Amino acid sequence: METTITPRSLGQPGFASDARAFMAVIRREWTIFTRYPSWIIALLIWPLIFPMLYILTARALAGPDGSGLAVFMQTTGATDYIGYIIVGTTVWMWQNIVLWDVGFALRNEQMRGTLESNWLSPTWRFSYLLGHTGPQIVSMFMFIAITALEFGLIFGVRLNGSVWMLALMMLAAIPSIYGLGFAFASLVITLKEANAFVFLVRGLVMIFCGITFPVAILPGWMQSFSKWLPQTYLIHGMRAAAFSNASVTELLPDLIPLLGFGTFWLVLGYFTFLWMERRARKTGAIGQY
Amino acid sequence: MKTKRTSHKRPSILRSGRMEKIMQLTTLSQPSFKTVLRALFVIARKDWKIFWRYPLNAVSSVFQPLIWITPVYFMGKAFSTNGHASGFAAYSGSGDYMSYILLGTVLTNFIMTVFWGMGYALKEDMDAGVLESNWLTPISRLHILIGRTLTSMLTTTITSTVMLILGATLFGFKPTGNTVAALLTAVPMLVGLYGFGFAFAGIVLLMREANTMVDVGSFLVQGFTGTTFPVKSLPYWLIPVSLMLPLTYGLDAVRGFLLKTQTLLPINVEIIILIAFMFVMLWLGAQFFYRVERRVRTLGTLGQH
Repeated sequence: METTITPRSLGQPGFASDARAFMAVIRREWTIFTRYPSWIIALLIWPLIFPMLYILTARALAGPDGSGLAVFMQTTGATDYIGYIIVGTTVWMWQNIVLWDVGFALRNEQMRGTLESNWLSPTWRFSYLLGHTGPQIVSMFMFIAITALEFGLIFGVRLNGSVWMLALMMLAAIPSIYGLGFAFASLVITLKEANAFVFLVRGLVMIFCGITFPVAILPGWMQSFSKWLPQTYLIHGMRAAAFSNASVTELLPDLIPLLGFGTFWLVLGYFTFLWMERRARKTGAIGQY
Repeated sequence: MKTKRTSHKRPSILRSGRMEKIMQLTTLSQPSFKTVLRALFVIARKDWKIFWRYPLNAVSSVFQPLIWITPVYFMGKAFSTNGHASGFAAYSGSGDYMSYILLGTVLTNFIMTVFWGMGYALKEDMDAGVLESNWLTPISRLHILIGRTLTSMLTTTITSTVMLILGATLFGFKPTGNTVAALLTAVPMLVGLYGFGFAFAGIVLLMREANTMVDVGSFLVQGFTGTTFPVKSLPYWLIPVSLMLPLTYGLDAVRGFLLKTQTLLPINVEIIILIAFMFVMLWLGAQFFYRVERRVRTLGTLGQH
């Protein structure tokens, strides 16, 4: 009679174990997040200071008699240049923060030397990325609410539209913004030079999506390129929802491409992660930095 | 309870008139100007190697400032009629807003280098776990901080030059004034910033976090010193804050020399302010850093992050 030792994995994979791993990552991220209290300062100050540079430059361009402002209003159709700029810069900051937070999730583990040990645990590996997203979305919505509050109180920016339409635009943007973050996080594990990629992606948003100006002012080839970036639709839709009281029907030309890009980026993000994960294990480069 | 301090003077053998066998304590190194230079060179070479180890990052550092000012370029177009920003000209004395902004951006690159170069470098060392071992080397800690800025100053010079060339091609940068006078004016401003960098590095040692402080500090300095706009256009209640910062006069004087813009004060007065700022900030910054550094060593938190 022979006894056969059946190999057993260290974990018992299943939905419950995946959910537990996901929650563990969320809890860890939250602990790290609250460990450095300077985030409170960042949360209060960043919404003000980043748009401020563009607002103050716009103020200088307007001139002491406001002659430049009349030209700006004629070009953009906006009546409130501060509100116009805030929407653009807030979308840019959202994408920027996601790239640094979610995009660097795996890279930071690599730099700390903990990626390999985490990879060895019997968990669903994609939960490392997903787990970063939860606290990030919460903090981003806090960030956007604080932006609205600060500019409302200090600069008197008033919403001339529906909060629900604004929320709808933002919800529709989540898949593309975070999908891009997933793809990005996976790529930097292999390519290492994460900073350069953050600069590239956020630079594209900054130049082509019209964060402080109407896209119509760009040269033709730049306008064509801007149509391939979901943030262009998000900025346009949010401005329409916030200041032109646009309805769902009026927002559809922005919502449909935004959801289309969202699906594309989520799928691409997931498959890039799978590809990277396999490649990094094959080449043995997962712990290198 | 006071502890008795022991003298570090070497005992003289001849004074006592007796031949005694005394074990002389020698330091691990013999600090001299030459050894300091060698240490600075070694630190700079290490940073240089790391910088070029990531070539994409190096290339992106050239384009990054250009990317930041591109929205301003297009926004300026939305405020201009036939390419002339008359509103901007009323504040600055020059309708060429892109030359104004490009020059401000180049100077800010150097300002930020000192911010990042010292404070952030310390944070990097903390994260990498090498701060304590670096601290044990027989070199002044201020020299370590200065050394960490050398490579970044060199790379900033290279990237800023490329940026100005690209800026001239893309946006039409046209300096019309005295370049040498402008460069000489920038020297006391940048040296004074080292003092600020020392103090800032001390804060990073204490707080163990650099990103937020560096980013927020950088943006506030850019906002109040008028990197991309004349400070006269600030809301009236912010103008006193701006006028209290010596960097405002640095940017203003350099632009006055190079672009012949209207300056806030006579240029000679602005230069005197910059020279005074240089001496005061160097002294204050070094004093603050030494105090904080001693405190951190007393607490034993130097290597924590």
